[in-house]
Amino acid sequence: MSAEETPKMPQMPRAQTVYGSIVYWITILSCIICMIGPVISVAKPDNNVLNPYKLFNAIFEGKDAQTVWKEVGGEFPGGHFYLKNFSYGDGFTQFGLALGCSVALWALIVVAFAYASDKIYLYFGLALWVAALVALSMIGIVGTH
Amino acid sequence: MGKLFKSPWLEVNVMLLVLIISYVALALITGSAETEPGAMSGGAIWGWLFGFFFLSFAIALVAVIGGIGGGVLFTPFMLAFTPVDSLIVRATGLIVAMFSGLVSTGPFMKGGLANLKICIFCAAAYGVGAFAGAQGAILVAQHLGETGEGFVRLALGVILCSLAVYFLVGGKKIEWPEVKKIDGFTKWLKLSQPYYEVSLNKVIDYPLTRAGWVLAAIIGVGLLSGFFGLGAGWAIVPAQNVIMAVPLKVAAANSGVLLGMGDCIGVWPYLLMGAIIPVFAAPWLVGQVLGGLLGALILIRVKAGFVRYLLIGFMFFACFGLLTKGLGMLGVIGAVPVWLNGLVFLVIFAGVTRSIIKFTRSKS
Repeated sequence: MSAEETPKMPQMPRAQTVYGSIVYWITILSCIICMIGPVISVAKPDNNVLNPYKLFNAIFEGKDAQTVWKEVGGEFPGGHFYLKNFSYGDGFTQFGLALGCSVALWALIVVAFAYASDKIYLYFGLALWVAALVALSMIGIVGTH
Repeated sequence: MGKLFKSPWLEVNVMLLVLIISYVALALITGSAETEPGAMSGGAIWGWLFGFFFLSFAIALVAVIGGIGGGVLFTPFMLAFTPVDSLIVRATGLIVAMFSGLVSTGPFMKGGLANLKICIFCAAAYGVGAFAGAQGAILVAQHLGETGEGFVRLALGVILCSLAVYFLVGGKKIEWPEVKKIDGFTKWLKLSQPYYEVSLNKVIDYPLTRAGWVLAAIIGVGLLSGFFGLGAGWAIVPAQNVIMAVPLKVAAANSGVLLGMGDCIGVWPYLLMGAIIPVFAAPWLVGQVLGGLLGALILIRVKAGFVRYLLIGFMFFACFGLLTKGLGMLGVIGAVPVWLNGLVFLVIFAGVTRSIIKFTRSKS
């Protein structure tokens, strides 16, 4: 390890600061959505896929996820149900969760371009690879169930 | 006063304001709601939503002080002491672990302590492991029923016990690892990146080695994290530090960033099969983000090493709960009487109190 004598702050690579900023702000946005979503959900119980007044009983009875969705909501509408039920309380909350759970995808796409413009092609490729893994996982086409 | 209107306080204040308005609105709405037959009362709903947020917030705060990730506390306790289905708990546990990592990403990236190249390199492997682990968890839940639930609790109990012992004895970590030989693959990756080390008032550049080996280790860590819904900082930090020679502080910062990035891959199988129930998971997410941010802003300088002993005590107690519940589900033992739980709690916390007294005396 080598230590320089003059404590001059090293400049952070652009890709790194960009990644940090995107993740930070999207996480905060996702958090705010998840604060508001349950209020809409409780205010209009019929405007939900899962009625919140019946949901917690089912969860605390130890029922598995599929049974909870089936008994309280009729059927599980799929992980991306917020796309069709955006104005629903739980649809809006699910959107907040999905946004937060996909934050690395959006940040890594931008990071890949930052690496490409800096001619760091190895990390351009690796960033795209990880972004592709997130995207494939989101789409669910490689699931085993 | 002015700093309250500047980042990061500005966004923290906005979030606090939205949070207060939300919970007041929730109280007003649920307070006036009529309870349908078979449904939960409005007051109870408010209590659960606030309780989840408060617990998550507290976990995030003590995690900052104690240096033990929130996921390691959430999943074992929920599995040991609540009747909630294990897949729902593990899925929500992954949200807890992931968001505690995501919220620390911004400051670590901006400050330069974390290294994005190392994180992307490790995430390429961690994500594969976490995804496979999550798929495995779903398969076990779908095909092994009650027996699978019992085995999951037993396995997690054993892992948690090993972890608590590991946290207690410290494990092998080196603050500034020495690198004697850099292999060709690691050199080709150009992973190292200088950063300003405040405690030394110096810019530190660190050589790295054995990057190929770390990939294999990180896949295994990802599998565990994805399967059990645990945060995996406890394994990612030593893997980077001991194998790859990443300085301890950088490895710790990288682990948060990596958890946030890699669990974006591992969490989706749970979301797509409905194990993450939005209104149940949302307060846990909010608590992690707000608690993590406030903890980092206010409590990071608090020297409270004793909190670590408290957390380890809780881990041992959760471990006892997991083992007995797992054995009960497998039909090996009957229900554990309340007095025995109480006795074990007392014994563990007598030990914790003793350790805290010893620790405080050694510090003074």
